[in-house]
Formats: sequence, structure tokens, C-alpha cells
Amino acid sequence: MSNNSAKNLFIYGSLICFIALIVLTIDTMGTLDKRAPEITEKVDAGKKVWHKYDCIGCHTIFGNGSYFAPDMTKATERKPKGYLKKFLLDPRTIKPDAAMPRLGMSEEEADDLLAFLDWTSKVDTNNWPPKPVLAVATAGRGSGQGQMLFQKHDCAACHQIQGLGGTAGPDLTNVGNRRPDIDWHIRHLKDPSSVVSGSAMPAFANLTDEELKALAEYLTTLK
Amino acid sequence: MKYQSHQISLNFYTASVLLFLVQVLVGIIAALQFMWPDFFILNFNTIRTLHINALVVWLLMGMMGATYYVVTEESESELWSIPMAQFQFWATVIAVTAVVAGYIVMGLYPQANMEVFGTRLLNEGREYIEAPRWADVLIVVSVLLFLFNCFMTVLKTRKFTAVQGVLLGGLTFLALMYLPGMFYTKSMVKDQFWWWWVVHLWVEGSWEMIAAALLAFMLHKLLGADVKVLAKWMYIETGLVLFTGILGLGHHYYWIGTPKYWLWVGGFFSSLEPIPLLLMVWDAFRTTRETRAPVQNRIGLYLTVAHAIFNFVGAGLWGVIHTLPQVNKWTHGTQITTAHGHLAFYGAYVLLIVAIIYVTLPSIRNLKEFNQSRGFQSFWWMTISMVFIVLSITGAGMVQTYLERLLGLDYVTVKASYNLWFWIFRAIFGVGFLVGVLILVKDVLSLVRRPAS
Repeated sequence: MSNNSAKNLFIYGSLICFIALIVLTIDTMGTLDKRAPEITEKVDAGKKVWHKYDCIGCHTIFGNGSYFAPDMTKATERKPKGYLKKFLLDPRTIKPDAAMPRLGMSEEEADDLLAFLDWTSKVDTNNWPPKPVLAVATAGRGSGQGQMLFQKHDCAACHQIQGLGGTAGPDLTNVGNRRPDIDWHIRHLKDPSSVVSGSAMPAFANLTDEELKALAEYLTTLK
Repeated sequence: MKYQSHQISLNFYTASVLLFLVQVLVGIIAALQFMWPDFFILNFNTIRTLHINALVVWLLMGMMGATYYVVTEESESELWSIPMAQFQFWATVIAVTAVVAGYIVMGLYPQANMEVFGTRLLNEGREYIEAPRWADVLIVVSVLLFLFNCFMTVLKTRKFTAVQGVLLGGLTFLALMYLPGMFYTKSMVKDQFWWWWVVHLWVEGSWEMIAAALLAFMLHKLLGADVKVLAKWMYIETGLVLFTGILGLGHHYYWIGTPKYWLWVGGFFSSLEPIPLLLMVWDAFRTTRETRAPVQNRIGLYLTVAHAIFNFVGAGLWGVIHTLPQVNKWTHGTQITTAHGHLAFYGAYVLLIVAIIYVTLPSIRNLKEFNQSRGFQSFWWMTISMVFIVLSITGAGMVQTYLERLLGLDYVTVKASYNLWFWIFRAIFGVGFLVGVLILVKDVLSLVRRPAS
């Protein structure tokens, strides 16, 4: 190959590739809004909050970012909004060992940010992040009504049992030792802050008495 | 000094290695924050912003210093305007200092990052391109002054060499690809779409063009190899870099809300990305073997070949392992990406700039002989440390992928418990890397100051 033909191959080949990229980009731009919910003013305000506090300096979103803190794409899908809001306002009062510092975010900013994260959780990301295989394999395998309810209400989104589950709320591995009283659990599930002051856990008051009792009984067996 | 213009290159090299030192110091703080988030007065996000911004800026300053040198050598003339180049250097230094001060203020008082004319005053909150819009404008002006000066030098002397063509072409492409990051979009999907244009088309497009041009220049300078043969391979390598790299951009469009066809486009083209990098390794070895010239600047050649090898290993191999969508679905957003980022930047660009400094400095300073042992010491401290840093982070990434992504353990649990040893190893080898950088900075500064022999 002569120098000239190598040069031409480089110049024209690269140009063709770049044109192909532009064509694909135009096509993609036409589809993006259809693959995501409408962007309201609140969502846009939330995106600005995301940028203002440089959230991507620690977290990732759509898997891109700093890998120092959890991915936020689907943050509002599993964790209760009430918890998330309290956490955003002052992380360490809710979770003393949280790595995230208090940023001085206002209530309005926190609401906007959660609206934005609600939006990202509904974007069609070609099924990313994938559901963990163990979670899929063990779903619905609980024995007894209490354990089924624990799964149905996704308590593991915030609580761990034997190393599996989230870290937003206390570890429940030995909760039966710490709190052997079934009535305490029932009161706590109905209205968490009435027994634990400042709790960020949502109330499960819509459960029937029978369900509350079954769930409470299950919790007391965790020893 | 053959040309007065070379003083500008020395200025850029000095600023470049000093910023490298800053980058590694904050890198160690960041590594410690993985174990103790409150370790330092500034939070991780600010430290990381400084770590990656210092990286980009010192590499760019190294490229600018090198380009001023290459253009004067190839054109056999002084720069079109030395005062303009001097101004461009100092303007860049002042702008960078202002941006860094802004990051630190924002780190201490997050509320100071207020909205001004629809953009953020101190930090845009977008990874790698955190610099606020006013700084973007200054950066563009600085790069335009730089390019204008170089192009005018080439036009003045009318010596259009292949190396200059690809080098300045790569730099122009680099300048243009900064623009897609300079507007606001309401959609986070579009935001990330354009953001990847900047980040990907820089490091896997224009920067690799610059690397190919500098590789050819260094092999000629060190070995006196035939320019025509070098130029031919440079064209082929650059062509392949762009054929695979431009559409390889698709590997960032798998999961951000973009259509499914990107899985095919990205998977196919990015799987081919290691090929031109392998070709560069072969090119470096072939040229070295064939010329059989006695090499005076051994450290320069050593670094040049090491750059080619680690470019292939870091950018090529460590990239291709997780580039297929079937794999990337599980590894995306884990420490696997961090590991790839570290080895790719080290191999492709850190070693490139260190190599070009060692190749050009002795000739700028008219040093016929110089003590090369410090250069080798620094190289081995940095390279061995970086290899172990990358192995540590790769281990962390594999554990994270398995436990968090496959089994469904919590992110924080995996990070705080299962990966603790990896963070400890990474911090220890980070200190080893710092030793290498300190030796490098000392050596480069003493070579810059040493009187001619």
C-alpha cells in the first residue's frame, strides 16, 4: 500500500464512519423522548439539583459516574420516598454510619430531586440494571405467611437478614433477640415513629391485623 | 536551545508534571476515602473531580508542549508568534487555577455553586467536564489560540509533513469534540448521550490520533527510522482507530435510555478497538528491531515502547473484556470500569506524555548525555504500582459484579465489607505510585533547569 492510498483510506474511511455516527445520532434523537416519561418542570428542577450538588461526583446514574456510592437510576423504585427525603436532608440522623454528608439541601430541592429520580427510574434502559439471579431464583419461596409478606412488601430493600438486603434500615438478622415482643412489632409496623422517634420507615397501616401479626411473628423468629 | 519557541514547551512540561503530582496526591486521598469517607476536609466528590480534572489538564498541557516542539522541529522554524504562545500558557495556568479554586470553594460550601445565567457558577456537576461554562469558554479560546499559532507556523513554512497533519488534525478534532458538552439539555438521557461524544471521542478518537502521530514522531527522532514507512503505518493505525472508535461509541449507549440497535453497533465496533492498538505495539517493535541504530536516549525509547504496550493492555484488553453487551449488562457501573479507566489512561496517555517529555527534553536542553537512571526508577515505581492498583480494583470489580449484580447483595455491604482488602491494597500501591511520580517530577525539573552540556 502506498502512503497516499493509506492516507486516503484514513481520511475517507474516517469521514464515512463519522457520517454514519451522525445518521445514527439523528435517528436516536428522534426516539429518546418516546423511551422516557414526560419531563415536567419539577423533573427539570430536580436535574438541576443533581448537577448543583455534583451528585455524580460520588454516585452513578445509568451506570455512569464515580462508582463511590450506589447507582441512582432506580433509587425511588425500591426505597420509600419518605425515607429518601429524610436521608437527603440529613443523612446521618437517619443512618448514623452513612458515608454521605449533609449538603444543606432544602426540602423543595429534595422533592425536586426525587421527582427527577422518579423520571430516571421510568426510562427504558434496555432492562438495565438486570435483576440479580439469586433474587429471581428465590422470589416467592418463603415458607409461612410472615415471610411471604416480608417479600411482598420488599422489606429487604432496606433491611438485611443474614447479609442479604439493603442497609438503609437496621439489620434484622437477630431482631428476634433484640425485640422479642410481638406487640412491639405490630405497633412499630403500624406507625414506626410512635415507637422509634425520628424513624424514617414508612407506616404499614394498610396491612390487616392478621397480616401484621404474621409479619411480627416472623420477625421475632429471626434470631 | 535551538529555537526560542522550545521554552514554551518547557513551561508546559513543568506545569504538566506538577499537575500530575497534584493528581496523584488527591488520588491517594480518594483511595483512603473508600475506607474512611470523612478522612479529609473535602468530600470524595470534590477530591475525585480534582483527580480526574488534573489528569485531563496535565495530559492536555503535555500534548500542547509536545505539539509546540513537534511543529517547530518539523517546520524547522520558530513558532508563528512566541508571545502568543507565552500568553496562551499563562492564560491556561490562570484559568486552571481559578477553576480549581472554584471546586474547592464549592466543596467547602455546596450552596456557593449557584445558578448564574442558566449555568452553574463553580461546578457543572457533569463528570470530567465539571468546569463551569465560563471556564469552557476560556478553554476554547486557549485551544483556539494554540491551534491558530501552530497552523500559522505550518502555513508560514509550507512544510506539510504527515506527522504534523495527523497531530494537528487530532488536536482540531479534540477542540471540536469539546463543543457537544457545552449546552444544557433537560433530558438526562440526552445529557449523557452528548456527554459521551466529548468523553469517548476524546479518549478513543482524537487522543489516540495524537498518540499515533507522537508515536511516529518519537520513533523517528529516537531511531532515525524512515519517515515514509512510519507515516504509512501511522495512517493505517489512525484510520483503524477511527473506524473502530467512532462507532465504538455505541458501547456507552447500551443502558442509558437509547435504542437497542446500539447494542449491535457498539458491541461490534468496540470489540475491534484493540486491533489498531496491537498494530502500534508491533510498529514500535518492528521499527526498533529494523533500524538497529545505537540509541543514546534509552529511557525515551523504553517509555515509547512501554506506552505502546500498555496502551494495548489498558485501553485495549481491559476495555474489550467488558465491552460486549452480554457481559457489560452485569459489569456496567462497577469497579471493572474503574480498573479499565486507570490502566487505559496510564498506558495510553500518561506514558505517552512522560515518553515525549523524555524524548524531547534532552534535545531542547542540548544535553548530549544525561543520567537516565532516575527515569528508569520512576518508570518501574509507577508501572509496577499501577499494575497492582489495577489488579486490586479488578478484583474489587469482580467481587462486586458477582455479589451485587449477580447475587443481589447491597452495594454498601459489598463496598464496606467484602472489598475492604482491595481498597487497602490500592491505597498502598497508590503510595508506591506517588514515589515514582516524585522521582519523575524531580528529574524533569532538574533537566529543565540544568545548563547545557
